Amino acid sequence: MLECVSKEINQVTTMAPTESLREMFAMIELEMRRLRHDRTEIYTRAVQPILWLAVYGTVMSHVRDIPTGGIPYIDYITPGVLLQSTIFVSVFYGLTIVWERETGILKRLLVAPSSRYATVIGRAIASGVRATVQALIIFPVAILLGVKFISNPLYILAAFLMLFMISGGFAALSIFVASLMKTRERFMGIGQAMIMPLFFASNALYPISLMPPFLQSIAFVNPLTYAVDAVRGLMISGNVTNIFADFTAVIVFDILIFTAASISFRKIIE
Amino acid sequence: MTYAKLQKVNMKIALEIDRLTKIYEGRVNALDGVDLEVKDGVIFALLGPNGSGKTTLMRVLTTQFRPTSGVARAFGHDVVREDAQVRKIIGYVPQEMSVWTDITGFENLLIYAKIYGVSSSSRNKCIQDALQSMGLEEVEGKLVKKYSGGMIRRLEIACALLVKPRILFLDEPTLGLDPSARKAVWENLMSFKKEYGTTVFFNTHYMDEADLYSDEVAIINKGKIVKFGTASDLKRSLHSEIISFLLADDQTGMGRLFRSNVLDRIKALNLVDDAVVHGTVLDVTVEDGEVALPAIMELLNCEGVKLKRVKATNPTLDDVFLKYAGMRQQRNQSGYHHGPN
Repeated sequence: MLECVSKEINQVTTMAPTESLREMFAMIELEMRRLRHDRTEIYTRAVQPILWLAVYGTVMSHVRDIPTGGIPYIDYITPGVLLQSTIFVSVFYGLTIVWERETGILKRLLVAPSSRYATVIGRAIASGVRATVQALIIFPVAILLGVKFISNPLYILAAFLMLFMISGGFAALSIFVASLMKTRERFMGIGQAMIMPLFFASNALYPISLMPPFLQSIAFVNPLTYAVDAVRGLMISGNVTNIFADFTAVIVFDILIFTAASISFRKIIE
Repeated sequence: MTYAKLQKVNMKIALEIDRLTKIYEGRVNALDGVDLEVKDGVIFALLGPNGSGKTTLMRVLTTQFRPTSGVARAFGHDVVREDAQVRKIIGYVPQEMSVWTDITGFENLLIYAKIYGVSSSSRNKCIQDALQSMGLEEVEGKLVKKYSGGMIRRLEIACALLVKPRILFLDEPTLGLDPSARKAVWENLMSFKKEYGTTVFFNTHYMDEADLYSDEVAIINKGKIVKFGTASDLKRSLHSEIISFLLADDQTGMGRLFRSNVLDRIKALNLVDDAVVHGTVLDVTVEDGEVALPAIMELLNCEGVKLKRVKATNPTLDDVFLKYAGMRQQRNQSGYHHGPN
């Protein structure tokens, strides 16, 4: 029996270099398994973005004053609405972390032989995957509403990569906020207060050039702006001249926020 | 070589704790110089009132908190400097629920197996072993939210047993469970322990559990270990058994007791601490009942006090606990502090 015990321990020790990666994959698998058991959340969360497209988009498309560069208005806001719905999933991912803190799950994860960086990044990526699934639900609805997407599958794939990257970043931001807020009520307040300003202070619904200078400067540092620009270029307009700048901006955001979330994460159990 | 034989050849120390302190925010002394040694392969119970520091101690030992000063080692690995090593050899079940309720029991074990890096070839066997040792084979495919409290607790322990840890830490393992669920948890744990020789370190305030299942007990109060030993050592150390004599004929019996100072003469007997009369019952507190009883009986007999019944009450671990933790706390009520528990 002892041989079995020590063998088990050795197995754990020898795998040290891949530990982090392993935990990240386990976290993604956890999220996928959760999703498989209960998909209602994905469907109910699809309602709001579909209303944005079907109601707000349809009505506003009659206002011809918004310079969309010759694109129908519904098509113009589709990337923003897709991103808003995924970011909604990510920003409220922190709630899961707050819940896991209230129960003993986080304590237990922190006592497992894996780094907290792997835990944070794994969870954020897992949330990114979940958010991407959310976008996949809305995507066909947009097609039904007559939105014309670029038919190049590589472009669509790149757009989904962008959705995934920005969602992961916002999930990390959410984990960061959760590690500071610690209670559900405070977190809910902050979460609500984050989403709408992010959405409005970006180019999701209208071009930045229409904004007052103050809002323009916020939009300039809002990572959502770059994500919308990239997804709009890749999915709708086909204008991908800024694509490298957009991806760079989002990668920088991801690195910064993953680092901050990893550092603050340990505080969450104290 | 079986585990038991190996243990005899080389009696190792599982946990060494030396002058450990933990001060929260510079003022609350949650741990105030804990010294403790837990031998390999024992079941160790840490008893203490709420806020005594038992959860804090466990969280330091499981590398969640850094101690303010002092040293703790698990099988020679320092819990601060070698925390990664320590995490590989321990299993831990926190007080609060620690499994995901929106996936099945099997999936919980699967995710933990992956986090712990159990190789894919032995993963299924490890999971089946863990399910079996906690008696959960029949519900492995059910969502955890449909489990009863006892089943959830057993699943949590199964998750911790998955990698066959050398030390298993359980923080109030049966809190809030009904007696039959508590029994099931312990029976499964005991048979696992017997098979793998795992050291079990648990916090509790169920005295009967500590009494029944632990090899060694320590009582912690106000961040200090106030008593350490086996449960029977601790009970013996109280030196107090109460023998109750129910008098047969109350009027004359009572009269006789007081007429010739019987009470004082009983008190003067060797090994007798105290004697009091409540109604028709004479309670005598003795150090060793087996020796003191004949002497008391003889004296009562000589004085013609007739007895209806004699009953000896052995001290329980509750009495030990109250003496070393309860009383002390009452005396220092004003200085009572509570750390995050």
